[in-house]
Amino acid sequence: MSQNSSSVPAACEYTAAFLLLRLFLGLRALFGGIEKFELNGTYSIENYTANMKRMATGITGASFLPLWATKSFALPLGYLLIALGVALLLGLKMRASLILMGLVYVALSFGLMAVQEGDGVAWLGVHLALVVGALLLVRYNRFAVWPDKHE
Amino acid sequence: MSEPTLPATAELSRRDFISTGLKLGAAVLVAPYVARGASGGQAELKVGLIGCGEEGRVLLNAALKIPDIRFHAVCDIWGYNRTYGERLLRKFGHDPKPFEDYREMLAQVSDLDAVIVATPDFMHAEHTNTCLKAGKHVYCEKLMANSVENARSMVLTARETGKFLQIGHQRRSNPRYLQAREKVINEARLLGRITNINGQWNRAVSEDLGWPERYAMPQAQLEKYGYANMHQFRNWRWFKKYAGGPISDLGAHQIDVYNWFLGANPGSVLAGGGVDYYTTHEWYDNVMAIYEFATAQGPVRAFYEVLTTTSAGGGYTEYFMGDEGSLKMSENPAYTKLFREARAPDWEQWVKRGYIKKPGVPDPGDVPLKPWEKPRPKLGGPSRAGVVDVRETAALSSWDLTATLDKAIHQPHLENFFDTIRGKAQLNCPPESGFASAVTILRVNEAVAARRMLTFDPKDFVA
Repeated sequence: MSQNSSSVPAACEYTAAFLLLRLFLGLRALFGGIEKFELNGTYSIENYTANMKRMATGITGASFLPLWATKSFALPLGYLLIALGVALLLGLKMRASLILMGLVYVALSFGLMAVQEGDGVAWLGVHLALVVGALLLVRYNRFAVWPDKHE
Repeated sequence: MSEPTLPATAELSRRDFISTGLKLGAAVLVAPYVARGASGGQAELKVGLIGCGEEGRVLLNAALKIPDIRFHAVCDIWGYNRTYGERLLRKFGHDPKPFEDYREMLAQVSDLDAVIVATPDFMHAEHTNTCLKAGKHVYCEKLMANSVENARSMVLTARETGKFLQIGHQRRSNPRYLQAREKVINEARLLGRITNINGQWNRAVSEDLGWPERYAMPQAQLEKYGYANMHQFRNWRWFKKYAGGPISDLGAHQIDVYNWFLGANPGSVLAGGGVDYYTTHEWYDNVMAIYEFATAQGPVRAFYEVLTTTSAGGGYTEYFMGDEGSLKMSENPAYTKLFREARAPDWEQWVKRGYIKKPGVPDPGDVPLKPWEKPRPKLGGPSRAGVVDVRETAALSSWDLTATLDKAIHQPHLENFFDTIRGKAQLNCPPESGFASAVTILRVNEAVAARRMLTFDPKDFVA
């Protein structure tokens, strides 16, 4: 029995594993959002708009996706990533935040699939796998400002 | 073996998930509207396109990235091209009316501010002159026209109407070329005295263009618009009736740079060429030319070759050679390089001023951007890789320009045209410059036919 108990991770190990995933995914999303406001070393809303329009126009130009669709996704993307990053770092409704984050990565992957950007899809696939891992461990979440019910 | 003991956890109910998702989503969905309010603000220009073929599509794709312009009309005599242009514009949210005849376009969409002309060379003068007379500003693709007289008529019409006419020598608006000319050559004088130029555009053998049989134009329609048959319509570049051949198609861009960088027009041209390879072409498929320029610093001998049967020599470059340095320019940054002669004064001050950079110093701009990516931020200070490269290699004479272009290569030239209409800029290639280049380039074919050196009179370059 002692052999069995040593091979099974204790709850605190799952908690630590989830905390690491939460920190990584939170920081990744937060800085992924912030960098969208940067252009030539300066940060502004004008730069954000220019960057996201470039993204939308570029994807539309290289795929079947119409501009209204790519713009509708691109324009809120940076704000969404920042909000999700903050939610994960602070621990705000972790399950919903993770599912939303997974959907964002799936949507981003869809855009890159449409322009046949295989490397980018694989890169996002890694992110998605981490989100999936986080969802599997979310029940061990601690230190949450706004925890899920019964957490 | 017992099951691992896990702490008790609660399930997330569907209601909880939707409720939380809505709260998180609501805040971010309003954010773009805040951002959107901060952009643009200038009056929208109404634009039409005549010619939705190969070059028209390139210009459309570049123009679609420019804010505050809207396409209201597309025109092409071939329904296949016209539909392509119309669909592309609709995909980007424009609502263009399609036309077969450009006169109908001008009559029915009378409030156009500007027209982009991307038709075969022999139609440039007619399309441009009619649009200018209808009160439109015109961006016309190079070569300005297939004859000096046609080109001259365009200059005169632009003057008479007072409308802007930009000729599509797009390198004149490329920030990399602007930096090379204004900073590196004219201000810093890093090349010293320029004595020679060597340019080329070599392309591998290509098949003639075909067409889907069910979309072929009827013979009567082809003849109405001046084409002998569908083959000549699709391959107009190779026929004397419609264009000037490879020296005009490809060489025009680069020989225009010779004139522009030197600030001079040539005094003579010697050329050789022929229809050496293709059995279906009328124009010379291989041409080599030598110009002589008399500049304020002394004579410059300039060689140019356009070969359509081999890609030897690596693409398209304009190589300016001086007694202190040489600059190999190309629209492709990978082919661009600046070389310093051992006798040249120290170039460090120009590095500090940001005109050039040392070899091996990586620049985020060196990595090609995908159309949807934003420029990557620059890191401060020389990189470790750069230091190692400088220390270990002897390639100290090889330098790089600092300017980069992160847009489609035609976009800055179109932006310059639209900014000029708005009163914010001056044309980078006004009709007088386009005319001088057309004279310079068209004379090459004459020299090949004459099999002797032809001279230019300075008056030849004045419309």
